[in-house]
Amino acid sequence: MKSLIIIPAYNEEATIGQVIASIKKAAPEFDIVVINDGSLDNTEQVARSTGLAHVISLPHNVGIGGAMQTGYMYAKRNGYDVAVQMDADGQHDPAYLAALLRGLESGEADCMIGSRFVEKTAYRSSLSRRTGILFFSWLLSMITKKKFTDPTSGFRAVNRHVISVFADYYPDDYPEVETIVLLDRLGYKVRETSVLMHVRQAGSSSITPWKSVYYMIKVSLAVFMTLLRTKGRVEA
Amino acid sequence: MNIFTVSILFCLFFLLVVIDLIRRKKLAERYSVLWIVISFVMLVLSIFPGTLEYISRLLNVVYAPSLLFFLGYLFAVIILLHLTTVISKLHRQMTRLIQEVALLQDQMAELKRERSTR
Repeated sequence: MKSLIIIPAYNEEATIGQVIASIKKAAPEFDIVVINDGSLDNTEQVARSTGLAHVISLPHNVGIGGAMQTGYMYAKRNGYDVAVQMDADGQHDPAYLAALLRGLESGEADCMIGSRFVEKTAYRSSLSRRTGILFFSWLLSMITKKKFTDPTSGFRAVNRHVISVFADYYPDDYPEVETIVLLDRLGYKVRETSVLMHVRQAGSSSITPWKSVYYMIKVSLAVFMTLLRTKGRVEA
Repeated sequence: MNIFTVSILFCLFFLLVVIDLIRRKKLAERYSVLWIVISFVMLVLSIFPGTLEYISRLLNVVYAPSLLFFLGYLFAVIILLHLTTVISKLHRQMTRLIQEVALLQDQMAELKRERSTR
């Protein structure tokens, strides 16, 4: 089975080298593609110098959604069976790749999400982040009638079908929640598995208090629009 | 020279500017239709001020010029909405192009590497 790890990176020179090395060590059977999203620092050079990852550089910054989609386009065109998206800041532990993949291989899911909250783990996050997670969990349970404990997690593995869906459409920014709704409405199975996440090694989260307000509104609107767009494509 | 003459002259000038912009390809025909229509409407209202008062009476507008403001505002909002849809489309197309360029560059580098190792 051809498997690919997609790492979008924007100004991550401090961590990207180590992240690539630790993934290759824990899961050597995976190919790694780094999508350098028009970084202003040496992310591209650092990633290339490891010699362990394929690096694609976007000539301009297109944002997290556009960068991630580039990875899915690459996965689709090169015939990968599985794609896993991971952060460049070292939050996601490659030790859990096997657990994510198991769900896909057994056919239990088309998309596996690594959740920090399926079981009680040591992970602690800010109040605004937890509020957001609670809100989106509630929103998703209303829409999909399923339980998602960590809808904003970006640690995900998807199969061939979902790679194809994402190569054609992927949200611009804050894509995590919207894509769950989209996949569920298109009839794909989305499941969670428990993972531990590390505190980011360097850099800061893109979510500031001001942005979190925009985040809530934008994502809710996007979820609502996804419902409208997929209306009629799902059985009642 | 009264206000009607001034507004007729202004409308004619405006229409000429729009046409000249299209001629010099500074304005695409597809986006100019709205501007030409509004120029004509303004011109007609300036030449026949009675029209405005007639429409005002039909709509129970007491002060006729306020109808003019209302129409102007309506037009501005419509053209802004139109422009935002154009920007959204351009944004989407640009992202796709940036992605394709990156993937193509990558493919080209890959081909070169294969050729040099052979």
